[in-house]
Amino acid sequence: MIGTIAVSTGSLLVLVGLWSALTNRDIIRMIVGFTIFDVGIHLIMISVGYISGGTAPIISNLSDIGVSYVDPVPQALVLTAIVIGLGITAFMLTYAVNMYEKKGTLEIDKFEELKW
Amino acid sequence: MVEPIYLIVIALGAAFLLGLLRKTGSALQIALTLAALAGMVFISAQWAYGIIKGTTQAAEIFTSGMNPPLSINLFMGRSEAVLLLLVNSAAFLSTMYLGREHKKTSVYMLMLLLVFVVGLNGIILTRDLFNLFVFIEIVSIASAGLIALRSDIRQLGAGFKFIIAGALASGFMLIGIIFTYYATGSLNIDVITGMMSPALASAGYIGLFLVFIGIMIELKPFPVNGWGIDAYQASIPPVSALVAAGTATAMFYAFTKITAMTGGIFLNASMYIGALTFVGMNVVALKQTAARRLLGYSSISQVGLLVLVFSLVKIFGIAGGELIVFGLLVSHALAKAVLFWLSGIIGKESINDWGIIRKRNILIVAFAVAVGALLALPPFPSFFAKWELITSLAVKGQYGWIAVILGGALLEAVYLMRWFGNAVKDSFNEEDNLDFRFGTLVPVITGTAALLALGYFSANLSVFENNINWLLPAVVIVLLLLDFLPAIVKNILLIAAIAWYGYPLLQAIEGYRSIFAAIFVIGAVITLLPGFMNKGRRPGFYPAVSMMFAGLVGIIEATDMLTFFFFWELMTLGSYFLILRGKKSKPHALSYMLFSLGGAYLLMTGFSMSFAEAGGTSIALDILKTVSGSSLSGIITILLAVGFMTKTASAGLHIWLPGAHAEAEGDVSPMVSGILLKAGVFGLLMTFIALGDQSIGKINIPYVLSWIGVITALTANYMAAMQEDAKRLLAYSSIAQMGYALFGISLMSHLGWLSALSLAIVHFTYKVILFLSVAGVVHRVKTRNMYQMGGLITRMPVTFFMVLVSIIALSGIPPLAGFSGRWLTYNAVIEKGWLLQGVVAGVSGLIAFLYLFRLIFAIFLGQLKDVHRRVKEAPFWILLPQILLILLVLYLSFFPGAFLRPIGDIVSEFHPEGALVWNGATAVSEFGYWNGEAVMWVFIALFAANFALLFFLNRGAQKIKQFNIVYAAERPARPETTHFAYNMFAPYRKALGFLEYPITTKFWSGVADLMHSIAGFTRRIYTGNGQTYLLQIIVFVVISFLLSNGGK
Amino acid sequence: MIKKAFTFLMLGGLGAMLLNFILSFRERTALPEVAAHYIEKGPAELGSANIVTSVVVTYRGLDTLGEVTILFAAAAVVGLLIHLNRNENAVRREGSEILKTASALLFPLILMFGAYVFLNGHLSPGGGFQGGAIIASAVVLTVLASPNRKIGHTVLSVIESISGLAYVALGAAGALLVANGFLDNRIIPLGEFGTLFSAGLIPIIYTLIGLKVGSELSSVVISLNGETIEEDDQ
Repeated sequence: MIGTIAVSTGSLLVLVGLWSALTNRDIIRMIVGFTIFDVGIHLIMISVGYISGGTAPIISNLSDIGVSYVDPVPQALVLTAIVIGLGITAFMLTYAVNMYEKKGTLEIDKFEELKW
Repeated sequence: MVEPIYLIVIALGAAFLLGLLRKTGSALQIALTLAALAGMVFISAQWAYGIIKGTTQAAEIFTSGMNPPLSINLFMGRSEAVLLLLVNSAAFLSTMYLGREHKKTSVYMLMLLLVFVVGLNGIILTRDLFNLFVFIEIVSIASAGLIALRSDIRQLGAGFKFIIAGALASGFMLIGIIFTYYATGSLNIDVITGMMSPALASAGYIGLFLVFIGIMIELKPFPVNGWGIDAYQASIPPVSALVAAGTATAMFYAFTKITAMTGGIFLNASMYIGALTFVGMNVVALKQTAARRLLGYSSISQVGLLVLVFSLVKIFGIAGGELIVFGLLVSHALAKAVLFWLSGIIGKESINDWGIIRKRNILIVAFAVAVGALLALPPFPSFFAKWELITSLAVKGQYGWIAVILGGALLEAVYLMRWFGNAVKDSFNEEDNLDFRFGTLVPVITGTAALLALGYFSANLSVFENNINWLLPAVVIVLLLLDFLPAIVKNILLIAAIAWYGYPLLQAIEGYRSIFAAIFVIGAVITLLPGFMNKGRRPGFYPAVSMMFAGLVGIIEATDMLTFFFFWELMTLGSYFLILRGKKSKPHALSYMLFSLGGAYLLMTGFSMSFAEAGGTSIALDILKTVSGSSLSGIITILLAVGFMTKTASAGLHIWLPGAHAEAEGDVSPMVSGILLKAGVFGLLMTFIALGDQSIGKINIPYVLSWIGVITALTANYMAAMQEDAKRLLAYSSIAQMGYALFGISLMSHLGWLSALSLAIVHFTYKVILFLSVAGVVHRVKTRNMYQMGGLITRMPVTFFMVLVSIIALSGIPPLAGFSGRWLTYNAVIEKGWLLQGVVAGVSGLIAFLYLFRLIFAIFLGQLKDVHRRVKEAPFWILLPQILLILLVLYLSFFPGAFLRPIGDIVSEFHPEGALVWNGATAVSEFGYWNGEAVMWVFIALFAANFALLFFLNRGAQKIKQFNIVYAAERPARPETTHFAYNMFAPYRKALGFLEYPITTKFWSGVADLMHSIAGFTRRIYTGNGQTYLLQIIVFVVISFLLSNGGK
Repeated sequence: MIKKAFTFLMLGGLGAMLLNFILSFRERTALPEVAAHYIEKGPAELGSANIVTSVVVTYRGLDTLGEVTILFAAAAVVGLLIHLNRNENAVRREGSEILKTASALLFPLILMFGAYVFLNGHLSPGGGFQGGAIIASAVVLTVLASPNRKIGHTVLSVIESISGLAYVALGAAGALLVANGFLDNRIIPLGEFGTLFSAGLIPIIYTLIGLKVGSELSSVVISLNGETIEEDDQ
């Protein structure tokens, strides 16, 4: 149940993030949209790895047997994904800073120098 | 063998080390980067060589000392090794090109470059799904950084669009990966592949689909790729080169891995997406003038082609499919890298400013090689790949896909050849400079040389045995390398080479080929003679002309279809370069190339179809015979015939010829008109010898062709009569003569073919003479307009005599050689009973008198123009070949049996019935007899008598000087309009003007306009707005999902 | 408006795809094979109590190296773009007195906490990335408090490079010298399970990652604040 709720929430966040990235003309708001999109994906990832009744995969005692752990793989993946997302966000922000300095605006439709 | 993991270790280590070397000199920084990349090239080369040679086994690399699927594993196989070599070499060369660029930007640039290469290597090597994702992200980030090296507003805009589109694609991919993990419990590509079953595919469908579509978006499918094109355009050239050669290659390879992983459930989707991208991008590119954007379009379209071909290969289970894909991929990557590097050296935004490339000949060569490789022309790997692809598709009966692939390729040819033509012909500003230095030159030369060398090797990789004689293209290369020598030396070399190669050839070759071999070899030597007039270097002429003659000789020698097609295209390419050398020949050379390529694609399809019909095992030309009874034989005949008719310029396919032949250089026109056209006749004969009298339904193909032939003759003769330009007149005359030849072949009888073959020979002789005579005149009077000439008989008597004899020969009246052909034609027509066509041919023969009269009258008779009073006779080197040929004409006229008999024997092999009976010097047919020798003597006697009579009667005539005041009059406003030769046949024009209505030209320009307006309309989807691009991607994903999910 | 409606429609389509998955989604009750191996055999194989850490650093170590590379690239791009467009004269408003004092007080504590997190990555939740992010937050605080102060950027880049090099070198050592493959953590003894000095290379690698991530994120923040690394431009 927890897993399904989390997956649904994640999916919703994905859509919300995309909505704001697609409908806001302001570049900073688009970037925020993308971070929401990312968070949604991360949530989906984590919840897919959830095992009913599982606990964090940290083994305090080697003799612990019968303890149910959640899947560590998606957790490792999500760590990587978060860092990648962070890198991309920093990256987009840098672009935004530079674009603003060049043009004095952050409207996405003002950056159509190249087309056709 | 160095462990492949060091590819990643070396690059990353160097990148991190650069961080420590921030304060050191830029030379050290670039040296470190280049050393790291060189190491990577070495490692990948070592593996590629070892695996291909079979000395090394493909290797699996386990990280962290655990076996997969516990840990991530890499795989180094043959494909990987070759692609790594390609990618790393491109990176090395691009870095070399960049040189000290990082002094202007910062050392970050080099770090990003290395990171970028790490990503590319990782994408190719990894066998883990999530790891693939990580490496794709590395590539996206690094390339997004490299896009903005100049940090101007265009780059920033393009870079931002690139990042957001990439972020969206990777988001989809990430969701897909985790869904796939949910369904399969694994991230290892091989494990997932092994588990893949229909049930699993359905459970994990959304996951697999999202992974697939994520990769697909990275490949920039049409029409949701505006962000990718912007990136190509905005980046500095070496970065674009790296993206085109590296990223496209690696991403394509990732796509193939994913396709294997998903068990091929998306192959249909990728097939359609690939086709749409290939054709769509080529259409849109038609309107593009920005050089790098155009290259971006072309790159994406080529990747689309790769996706399409890969999907087709998998869907239809084409054997040797891997080699096909590799041939195309490697050609594309190298050619595109070369073009991007060139664009940097040129430094011009618009493709219309590329004239500056002529400052350095080596750049033109590189440009030509790259364009040729993209268009899959010989001898590049793509040529062989395309051949195998089309033949394999034919075996599978996929003619629709053949049409898509060849049609798209033709579109690509339009803009690439137009661009090349502009570069070679357009003027440029002498003061502009090229970025011509060691660092930029080495990559270009390496890429060019690699393309040529790989072409040679890929011919041997081909599934089929072929007997391509590499000596012939080697001559071209040698002349290219010797281009610095004076023209005279090169002329001697080429003539010697042709004689050395041609003499034994002529003795060895038999049958109808020997006739054409004689025309090609002897014609080559004779038409090269005027080249001795050239005092300078004549750069570029000899590679082109040798390429054309190599092609001509090659098609004669060919015994298999691949070899034939190889040399056919080589000949086309060579003649294109030759024609392009003319002063105003740019548009005509382009249409020549496009019609020829279109024709060549028809040939290719026809060959492939017969290959398939004959069982798909042999590509020998002989198999054409074996398919003559099959159900497709009619279509094969049409494909081949129309293909060859583009070369003979039959009505409807002729619009390229008048301009191309007229605008070519003086000594090139005789080559292309007198010699090259015969290649088409040769092909037609070959077709009909093998396939015979074919029909489709109730329509008899030769019957249709006979009408095309006579209509061509009629209209072209009329058009010739209406020309003011002497060379255009001759060009139209050639069209008409080829119409007769087509008509003769279409008669499908002994006499018909005999007439066609004898016409081929005599047309060669008099058309070369006429073009050379006119060349001599034009050389002296500096105009081609006949009404600006007149009275030259006194100044150029030898030339006059040449023209006189030639036009008598051409007109087909006794006593000269042309008559034999005419006589045979009418005999054949009566025999066949196609009287109506015979009448049209006869009428067109009458019209021919008009232009022949105009030619000699306007140029040589009448009053001499004042400005021409000091004109000299044509130069020796122009006269010499004419004299040699006129002797031949006279010989053939005196002794028609000398050539009609052996040709008759040859033809009897195919049409034994109705042969001429020779009675001494008299040829006897069913309907009459003809003794060329006797007719000649009678004519000479009559001529001498008449001449004497005239001389006697006119002995008291007064000679009127030009400025005899008795004949003086007021000077009109436009003096040329009063010249008798101006609009000479205006009265006929009133009666027959409908023949001039340019139906064909209108039709073809309508086609061109339509394509261009589609392009103009379609490219508006590239609005430039990043947000719109995002929406497009989402629409693409949703629609693809709906379509591919179909029934479920 | 039409565009928004269309966007909504398309996102609806996307939502339908995701819904498709949600409807078929059943929470797992057992681990997939590979994950089960990590949990059951992982502690004995690699000696790390935190299984996520052993997956991140060793089993899927190549991912992590890639991840570090991505951060490195991102930092390089940020540095590159800021370098190209530096704005020397920008003056930013100083932080308040409270912020300044608090940040001076907290700075060492945060650093210490960050170091703790990455050093204990193999034992408890946390690790190099988390620790690095915490360290960078200390730098953020300082930058916020006094935006006009020059910060020793060079030191950061040296730390970053050396830790990166060491990471790659240790990884290669796994392939080359001692152990079985690239990034194998068992080139030094695994030690006693559950103690600080255990799990072979994992704490060392995590320390390097922590330093690298910390310095990278810090330099991103500093760069975005408008400073660049002074280079020898000759």
